[in-house]
Amino acid sequence: MTANSGAPLIEMRHIDKAFGPVRALAGVDFHLGAGEILGLVGDNSAGKSTLMKVLTGAYRRDGGEILVAGEPVDFASPRDSRERGIEMIYQDFALCGNMDVGQNIFLGRWPRRLGLFVDRNRMYGDAARVLDRLKVDVNSVHAKVESLSGGRQQSVAIARALSFEPKVVIFDEPTANLSVMATAKLLETMAELKRQGVSQVIISHRLTDIFEVGDRVMVLKRGVNAGERLIKATTEKDVLELIVAGAA
Amino acid sequence: MTVAAESGMRRSTVAGRPPAELWGGWEAGLLLLMGGLYLAGAFVNPAFFGTSDALAAVLRDAARYGVMAVGMTFVIVNRELDLSVGSTLGFVSTLFSVAYAPSHADAGIAVALSVCVAAGIVVGLVNGVLVTFLRVPAFIATLSTLFIGRGLVLGLSGGNTIAFGEKAASDPWFFQLGETNALGFNNQILIFLLVALIGAVALGKTRMGYETAAVGGNEQAARYAGIGTARARIRSYVLSALAATLAGLMNVAQDKGITSQNGQGAELIVIAAVIVGGASIAGGRGRVLGSCLGAVLTVLIDKVLREGVPITRTIDVGGVPMEIGAVAQLPPGAVPAFLGLLLVGAVLIEPWATSGGLARLRARLTRTPVPVVAPRGDAAIEAARTRSHTALDHRGIPKGPISAFLARRDAAAILLTLALWLTGLALRPDFWAGLDNSFAMLTAFTEIAILSVGLTFVIAAGDIDLSVGSVLALSAAVAAFCLKELELAPVIAIPLALLAGLACGLLNATLTTRFRLPSFVATLSTFYIARGLAAWIVAGRQLSGFPSSFTLIGRSLAEVLTALGAPPGTGWWANFTGAVSVQTLFLFVLAGIASIVLSRTHWGQMVYATGGNERASRYAGIDTRRVRFLSLVFSSLCAACAGVIYVAYLRSFNPAAGQLRELDAIASVIVGGGSIFGGHGTILGSLAGAAAITLIRSLLSLQILLPGGGSYVLPQHWMNVYIGLILILAVIADIWLRQEEILSRFLSAWRRRSSERDIR
Ligand SMILES: Nc1ncnc2c1ncn2[C@@H]1O[C@H](COP(=O)(O)OP(=O)(O)O)[C@@H](O)[C@H]1O
Ligand SMILES: [Mg+2]
Repeated sequence: MTANSGAPLIEMRHIDKAFGPVRALAGVDFHLGAGEILGLVGDNSAGKSTLMKVLTGAYRRDGGEILVAGEPVDFASPRDSRERGIEMIYQDFALCGNMDVGQNIFLGRWPRRLGLFVDRNRMYGDAARVLDRLKVDVNSVHAKVESLSGGRQQSVAIARALSFEPKVVIFDEPTANLSVMATAKLLETMAELKRQGVSQVIISHRLTDIFEVGDRVMVLKRGVNAGERLIKATTEKDVLELIVAGAA
Repeated sequence: MTVAAESGMRRSTVAGRPPAELWGGWEAGLLLLMGGLYLAGAFVNPAFFGTSDALAAVLRDAARYGVMAVGMTFVIVNRELDLSVGSTLGFVSTLFSVAYAPSHADAGIAVALSVCVAAGIVVGLVNGVLVTFLRVPAFIATLSTLFIGRGLVLGLSGGNTIAFGEKAASDPWFFQLGETNALGFNNQILIFLLVALIGAVALGKTRMGYETAAVGGNEQAARYAGIGTARARIRSYVLSALAATLAGLMNVAQDKGITSQNGQGAELIVIAAVIVGGASIAGGRGRVLGSCLGAVLTVLIDKVLREGVPITRTIDVGGVPMEIGAVAQLPPGAVPAFLGLLLVGAVLIEPWATSGGLARLRARLTRTPVPVVAPRGDAAIEAARTRSHTALDHRGIPKGPISAFLARRDAAAILLTLALWLTGLALRPDFWAGLDNSFAMLTAFTEIAILSVGLTFVIAAGDIDLSVGSVLALSAAVAAFCLKELELAPVIAIPLALLAGLACGLLNATLTTRFRLPSFVATLSTFYIARGLAAWIVAGRQLSGFPSSFTLIGRSLAEVLTALGAPPGTGWWANFTGAVSVQTLFLFVLAGIASIVLSRTHWGQMVYATGGNERASRYAGIDTRRVRFLSLVFSSLCAACAGVIYVAYLRSFNPAAGQLRELDAIASVIVGGGSIFGGHGTILGSLAGAAAITLIRSLLSLQILLPGGGSYVLPQHWMNVYIGLILILAVIADIWLRQEEILSRFLSAWRRRSSERDIR
């Protein structure tokens, strides 16, 4: 299978992270294979988002090691991890509501003209192409993001992430605010990405979603590893027990 | 539980000695500092500070500020700010005087007192409702009430002093409160002690106080825990306003009369007192006793600065050197500069000291192991800025050119400008469009518009700059001083004036981006510092009569052309050059460039992205701190240009230069489509907003000809009330109409309902 063959694409060893008095992560290990879809589950404030933000460089870790393709890395910001092909779609999407779809897809790297001005034709043209390829139905690349529904805002965030042609995509609670239709569509997108060989992490409370697309599931409990299972060899009930009881 | 964050968190969970609620190391430090300062005062000025009267005087004056500081502590612990206390003090004492004075309403003392208390409650409720239900940011809401209050003082008193010394003798029980008692100290000190005690217990020991701390620490968590957060916040504002009311009554009890300056600038002393007293501007932390000590300390500093240092000066009398005594004194207007510095210093030191900075310093000095710092969750503080609007999918892309225009955020300002101008024309067709009025309006417009161009960048990037009016005054003062006193050439004086503005901009920008102060705190400090420095530079001097090569900057084109030997002659060219001045041309060049930068360049997009969602922008690789830094510097530079132009235009410097201009400029940007929360605003919109504000001002002072041959002008003393109301209305309209799309949601709901009815 795609997973577990050779060195993992991403490996995190013994990650520690504290916020003042709160120990969000304590010696957490994590790995992700090429083309694998990993479900990351656990109770609220178990440290799932924090672990992934440490991976992208949105948070600095207090201790531990991160290896990408076997090579130690030290990301100071999401910009650095982006260069290594890691993209995260944040729980709140991290978009600028006051700007339009095109401007958001190219946030911070708006195409230039004469070195100073924004090349708006190219920006909107490219944005439309990215959205088309994803088959996202956002009415117009000129629509302000704050006027879009939650599902469409997420589509914009995904389109933005995919426009970097990443090797790893992390979804943080992507289905929490989505309708049934939108969820089905998202899972389809994930399956398509997997076919293209993109590794993915999905943080979710809905085990059904993870069992539909995932290869493996990893459980965090109060900032420590609580075990992991291959989807093929486990049941939702088994995983639920891990979440609640935290047996290894 | 949430309140555990108040002070002694990170202890072990065993129930040992609970953390102090009323008293702590910070307060002890303040006492030491105060003792030292008093001794220093006694050393340099024994004539004043050496006597016991001085101590009584410091305490008496501190009493009023201390009472206000008690109320303000509740507001600041709530993670908010009340800039209106000084003006509430003035308003209440004016109200009392107008009600009580024989020369005015001549009512009884009970009536006068009830009116004042009712007014205080109303002010508190207005502030509270504005910031809670109407969601106006605290600094802008209370800044508006500040100016409205000052306007009411002027309007009610007509700008005159009111005195009622004789009538006061008939109500000794009240006026005794402002007097020295049999024990030899002023009764106000007693009131202060009583209020401090009640406040300290209420904040430190009761559920009400715990609620206040919880709301300030994490409002969302407090709401989830079932605390009525809106109620708690309104309550704090009412307490603050009532404290200011009490201080106002103490003031009239002492002075038995008022001037229209009563309480002016008191908010600075009170806020500085609370922050010096150990409260955190980030909310959730603060003790009433600390605030009270802070008030005494701040008033002491104020007194030391004002009393000055006695010196002996040797003068030459008919060949005989003679020694005479004199006092080296700061000009009164300069004191706020130091208080502003004190405020900045306290805001900067507080987080360092409360995170164990002192312990670390001591460890480093004594070479013992340095205790580790637990970082505070500042990421959690920042997170509060993302707003997400979901499920508002109705807003399609506008079709025709008219609906495309109406969908622009600056459409309202442009239409308003047009409507206002036509109104003026209808009211005074003989005068409105004439050369004189057009010239006057264009020059007034230019000053506001130059400020609002810079401010547009700041507001779009999600910050605010309250210092623009003061920076204008400072650079005007520098220009005037260099030209007149130092007799420098304009080519040197103008860059120096701009440099002064640049310095203010760098201060604002460094404090907000490097030290991470909220921009309204940083620029509020600069507001006082710059104005204080301006007053200091020009102290007592009449600065006018500048070289004509300089004043040409402020003349109309016609005059410039005449000076260059090419008078414009007659016809439209003469009219045009008569109405347009050099400064207006400068404005249009500046605005043109700024508009292109903001709307078309990479840089402009970064400004909008930063203001829209700073975290997302940072993740996207935008250096948001640099964006905010440069925006704040640019704003100050614009204000400095406006200052130079001010001197050139008026050909003299007046310390009131630029006063209230920050209000006009902020209102212009908001009316023109900016959002107080950042992410929006265009130069064109801000220019239209500035035009609307200028027109409103001219309309408000327009002499309206009545059909009967008489004429009518609105009472001009009320001007501040109108402008304050316009600002707050603009902000509310922006939040509620533009941001929340109330109008279009209402329209679509209405349309849906009527179509349902049609089907039936
Ligand atoms: N920026 C932050 N500041 C302070 N505490 C944080 C921050 N982010 C997360 N935490 C804390 O870390 C813990 C783990 O949070 P998180 O990773 O968001 O959990 P999850 O995503 O599993 O629900 C929680 O206790 C949370 O309060
Ligand atoms: Mg999470």
